[in-house]
Amino acid sequence: MNLTAHAPILAVAVPLLGAFALPLWAKLHTSLRDLWLVLVAGVTGALTVLVAVQVYTVGIQVYTLGAAWPLDTLAPGGFPIRIILTVDALSAFLGLITVLVAVVGFSYAWRYLNEDEGKTLALTLGTLLWAGMLGMAFTGDLFNLFVFFEVTSIAACGLVGYRTWASRGPEAAFKTMVMYTVGGLFVLLAIALLYGEYGALNLAYLARQISGSVVDRIALGLLLGGLLMKAGAVPLHMWAPDAYGEAPAQAVILLVANTQISLYALFRVLFTLYGGVADPAIGWLVVSLGTLTLLVAALMAVVQMDLGRLVAFGAVSQIGYMLLGVGVGLTVIAARPAYGLVAIQGGIFHMLNDAVAIGLLFLAVGAVEKAAGNRNLANLGGLGHDLTWTTGFFLLGSLALAGIPPLNGFASKLMIYQSSFLLSPILSALAILASILLLAVFVKAFQGAFLGPRLRKAEPVPVSMLVAMGVLALGVLALGLFPELVVRHLVAPAADALWKGRDLYLQAVLGR
Amino acid sequence: MTLLTGHGFWNPLLWLAAAAGVTLLALVVWSRGRRDYTRGTDGELPFLSGEKMEGAHVGGGHLYWGFVEGLRPYVERLRALHSGLVNDYVGWLVVILAVVFLIVLVGG
Repeated sequence: MNLTAHAPILAVAVPLLGAFALPLWAKLHTSLRDLWLVLVAGVTGALTVLVAVQVYTVGIQVYTLGAAWPLDTLAPGGFPIRIILTVDALSAFLGLITVLVAVVGFSYAWRYLNEDEGKTLALTLGTLLWAGMLGMAFTGDLFNLFVFFEVTSIAACGLVGYRTWASRGPEAAFKTMVMYTVGGLFVLLAIALLYGEYGALNLAYLARQISGSVVDRIALGLLLGGLLMKAGAVPLHMWAPDAYGEAPAQAVILLVANTQISLYALFRVLFTLYGGVADPAIGWLVVSLGTLTLLVAALMAVVQMDLGRLVAFGAVSQIGYMLLGVGVGLTVIAARPAYGLVAIQGGIFHMLNDAVAIGLLFLAVGAVEKAAGNRNLANLGGLGHDLTWTTGFFLLGSLALAGIPPLNGFASKLMIYQSSFLLSPILSALAILASILLLAVFVKAFQGAFLGPRLRKAEPVPVSMLVAMGVLALGVLALGLFPELVVRHLVAPAADALWKGRDLYLQAVLGR
Repeated sequence: MTLLTGHGFWNPLLWLAAAAGVTLLALVVWSRGRRDYTRGTDGELPFLSGEKMEGAHVGGGHLYWGFVEGLRPYVERLRALHSGLVNDYVGWLVVILAVVFLIVLVGG
């Protein structure tokens, strides 16, 4: 078997099947479950990296299910009827983010979760969510995008609400489930409209056919509604602080990656599917929602006293920066391609920076909750005396998220500030204002929780949790000190895939 | 090593070099300060608006009090929108969908 050719489907299938086998191993012994998880995570990570290396060195990878050979994308008659995975640089980039987040999250969960508090369930749902995210990133057809959208929704809601002995988790899961379901139905309806019009579900085929008719535009509106909701854009974000605030820490970083995968789907729809007929008005819509998101979420973070909800609003705010960057790119790229590309690069780079920095913050909050038994800023204080490493990690994540140089958040935010300045200086000013608000918020949280005299003795944080946070902290430093390398080798190809690479994406599936 | 950012550039290593220079300057200024300072005196106690109690902690709710109070009128309006009711959440989804349709069908 040619492993390289089959790697795209294996990267999705291994965590999918691995998740369902996880509870069976747990029935035999929890050590076997943990070994199985290490195996599944290791193989999935290696396969995803293999796919990414192929994409970045060779080009777009396609995989046709059920064909005699994975590259036979077209059935007799020249029609792409089978399920086709299409992995370009942007898909691969998102795949790598999910690998980082999942591996760190599982390492953290090893000691963070207790066996008698649904550890097997949490690990199973986490693996399933990872499979769904990889499926959304790698799929090349709209219906499977919806299928994996639902897989991620079910797994995410399960992760938010599986702790049924507490009342708030299930309530947050219910709200999230209602929103995901309504949004999912919008997406499904859009796909049905496009299928009715063109008789096809393949993304590349539809991209070539779409003419901008009224039905196409209605489908675009439905897709935007569903995907913006799942990405957590204001005012469709309200489920996000509830979910992030109630899910256990190792699950929250997966949920953050899940919103980024929804953003990826949104960008794929706007640039690849509707790239031929998109107009600046839609770019302005994305810019407006992005600006609203970064500002409203930062303002809401100011008054939060629960450390988890405070970081959750910070996470929503970061989605605004990504929307702003890519929205500016969508608006100006036809007229000013150079600036448009920088804006898109800024938005995409911020995805990685956000996953690392906000992931670090959520893990630090989980460590605080485990060590101090509390997340309320009114009751916390002086944790720095006992939780030295966690204190450092929280400070590092806070400064990175607020965009303080030379940490990683600064480089991507600078790209977004400068490119959005071209569209309107007001946009840059609002984006900088939101960063200042976030800095104030996190300084307040840091002072309240970690500085001052010791109020009570905190339990030590297990080493595996510190190691998981340490990996993300190293990421914050490395991405901050060497942004040019990351942009040149990972981000720029991903941004090019959205704009210049559209024809290549279509050709990879449909030929010339 | 230099990242082009549209209008300008960003080089973190240059920034670190500049930061090291500023730190060095600060250390030079600090080293020229008074040398008759003695440890363990009242001068080391935090000044918390006249609070003399040792070990007092400025909790999270007190820091940036004026800043937060200044923003409160705006934030309270936003907080009212975060009602926690799922009906409202879905309502916003419908509103945004209407706006999106308006832009996509009329504006686009």
